[in-house]
Amino acid sequence: MDRKNAAVIKTRYLHPYLLAGLIPAIFFLLFYFYPLSGILVKSFSLEGGKNLSFLDQVFGSPRMMKVIWFTFWQAGVSTLLTLICAFPCAFVLSRYQFRGKRIIRILASIPFVLPAVVVAAAFQACFGDKPFFFGITLDQPLVLILLAHVFYNFSVMLRILTGFWSSLQGRISEAAMVLGASPLKVFLTVTLPLLKPAIFAASALVFVFCFSSFGIILILGGPSYSTIEAEIYRQAAHLFNLPLASFLSLIQITFTFLLMWAYTAFTKRAARFSPDTEQIHLKPPVHLWEKMMIAGVVLFVFCLCAIPLIALVATSLTHAGKLTLVYYQALFVNTTGSIFYIPPFHAIKYSLLFAVISLLIALVTGICAALFIRFCDRKFSNRWTTFFDPIFMLPLSTSAVTLGFGIIITLDKPPLNLRTSIFLIPIAHALVGFPFVVRAILPALRAIPEQFSEAASMLGASPLTVFKAIDLPLMSKALVAGAIFAFTISLGEFGATIFTSRPETPTIPVAIYRFLGQPGAMNYGQAMAISTILMIVTAVGFVAIEHFRKESTEGF
Amino acid sequence: MENELVLQHIQKTFDDGSLVLNDINLELPKGTKLSVLGPSGSGKTTLLRLVAGLAMPDSGTFSFAGEKMNDVPPYKRNFGMMFQDFALFPHLNVEDNIAFGLQMKGMDKTQRNARVGEMLAMMGLAKFGKRHIDELSGGERQRVALARTLAPQPRLLMLDEPLSALDRSLRKHLLVELTQIIAHLNITTIFVTHDHEEAFAAGDLVLIMNQGQIEQKGTPEELIHFPENDWVRSFLQ
Repeated sequence: MDRKNAAVIKTRYLHPYLLAGLIPAIFFLLFYFYPLSGILVKSFSLEGGKNLSFLDQVFGSPRMMKVIWFTFWQAGVSTLLTLICAFPCAFVLSRYQFRGKRIIRILASIPFVLPAVVVAAAFQACFGDKPFFFGITLDQPLVLILLAHVFYNFSVMLRILTGFWSSLQGRISEAAMVLGASPLKVFLTVTLPLLKPAIFAASALVFVFCFSSFGIILILGGPSYSTIEAEIYRQAAHLFNLPLASFLSLIQITFTFLLMWAYTAFTKRAARFSPDTEQIHLKPPVHLWEKMMIAGVVLFVFCLCAIPLIALVATSLTHAGKLTLVYYQALFVNTTGSIFYIPPFHAIKYSLLFAVISLLIALVTGICAALFIRFCDRKFSNRWTTFFDPIFMLPLSTSAVTLGFGIIITLDKPPLNLRTSIFLIPIAHALVGFPFVVRAILPALRAIPEQFSEAASMLGASPLTVFKAIDLPLMSKALVAGAIFAFTISLGEFGATIFTSRPETPTIPVAIYRFLGQPGAMNYGQAMAISTILMIVTAVGFVAIEHFRKESTEGF
Repeated sequence: MENELVLQHIQKTFDDGSLVLNDINLELPKGTKLSVLGPSGSGKTTLLRLVAGLAMPDSGTFSFAGEKMNDVPPYKRNFGMMFQDFALFPHLNVEDNIAFGLQMKGMDKTQRNARVGEMLAMMGLAKFGKRHIDELSGGERQRVALARTLAPQPRLLMLDEPLSALDRSLRKHLLVELTQIIAHLNITTIFVTHDHEEAFAAGDLVLIMNQGQIEQKGTPEELIHFPENDWVRSFLQ
């Protein structure tokens, strides 16, 4: 009764938290929905040549059909390979406690937070034309793409599977065992059926990531292995066929949304069981075969996750077989004759500048969105939250290339012309980082008891003072985590940046891409050097996030 | 009468080195209804898990019906255990949950259905066979869990805090129901609880545990009237 009355009274005037919702709403309207609508409009202006009809350009062209087929094919195979690699590892991690497990977990998580260009560079260093390890040459674009995707998505798959699997280790498995089920039967009749939704959810997510993978395909695939995502970029940036690029974007958006919907549906079906008892059921290995299995998993994770990164660092430090810092020094020298007429040092400078601006934008809009959602949670029915929550997560399921493409075709003319604005890149980055900021902040904000703010307002604090004196200090750790998210995402963002960046203001990933596209050992070495720097910054950022964020069992 | 369940010098430490069970010796004749009573952390649940085979003792022997059980895996013991939160399989309906143990024994379908029907009738769940687990109330879940445990006709029945997942108001009613069912079965039963009332109602014999050791074993009357030491006296007050 009381709660209802309070709500009625409070909604008589506009609460500041309600107004706070306007800021992310405007941000989304201008920089998300408006660009996307631009794509929609543009794709309907798609006209064929004299002999080609509207759809013939896509569905009648063997090349386009090949691109679409390859997009699905590589995503499917990558997902399957990732599942095969992660499944046994998840089994071991969810079952056993052993020394060094924490390090293995962190090591296994690092690939996922690395920028795609860094991953691509690392795989070129590892297996590319200058093979670093054991002289293995796997310089097959297709093999490299699949390996890079496995490397990249292994941690997502592992995290989701381990989370669900360890909650099944407890009483549910024991109950089956006491009823006479051997370990194999427990696995087949209880564990596997209960794990199935989690397997599907993780696979759907990894499939989306591989489906909309851009940097890896563009750099490792070359022109012969193109996906929808890479083709959008080629059509738009190289061939200026904007209508076709728009139509491809539309296909891309439709499929990613469908897949994300499937992912959400599977996640809901995957119920969790007594997650708080997880730790209790971890056991140390007893038998020799258990120890061997753990050793195998440790070795595998090390090979998969560490070797490409070690190869990257090593390549960046070796020139003609000798240890050297020459590539790092070259980053700060303006080499004439390079197509890169701006020294890479400037790329680092611009990247940092853009990262700071996008951090601020993402943080302000993110905090406002989180305050708004929490306010809706508390004052209105669930329906409001279930409506706004997914909307704010939309950029997560929209590929960066589509976002960047939408932005350049709409924000280059009145009413909103930002073509030359220094804010264009940070805005795109903030959009990509926004869902992560909200996901970092919202749980912390929701965890603050409502009585705290009620007590403060009874003591005379205005809503703004309540925010400053109560909410802000209590969510400071989550805020730091969100800020690091926004910062590192901006540093590594490639898909949207390649559309929005101007030649004179490149970012680090763009610089890496350009270096890798140039011939010569010097360019190659510099690409490795700058990738190494970016890798270290991102990895440190990730470890910091893990430190600041409460231990969460969420998928990613 | 010959002792069916024999525990000798059972010792168990946790990974962190703390002692959970310290020199446990216990002998139970067939058909005994034993309650194990103790505060949380007294080792009573660990004792149950050792008997079930879900945990291994560091030293000591456990034998059942003359057979040494130490190296027999839980799924070959043919013991029944009802878990604290019931641990019903959420992907199976009521019938399939009850049939699980029978299926593991390799019983054919007609026999299985007959036995499941028998159990459903016995528990007053006749119309619940096709229901989903999350459609059941706490009391109904408890009965399904008991039916699932009893269906394969276990040689030993273990109950780990079977009433703790239920509402206080339900508990009293279901305690009576549960003890009546147990009393009619001719199998050795171990009932683990931290509640005196439950322990005294469910067992002819009560074992009081504290800090990994047996403080006293006796009938409810013996314990109330002749506590062996101060700890037992104050614990039972």
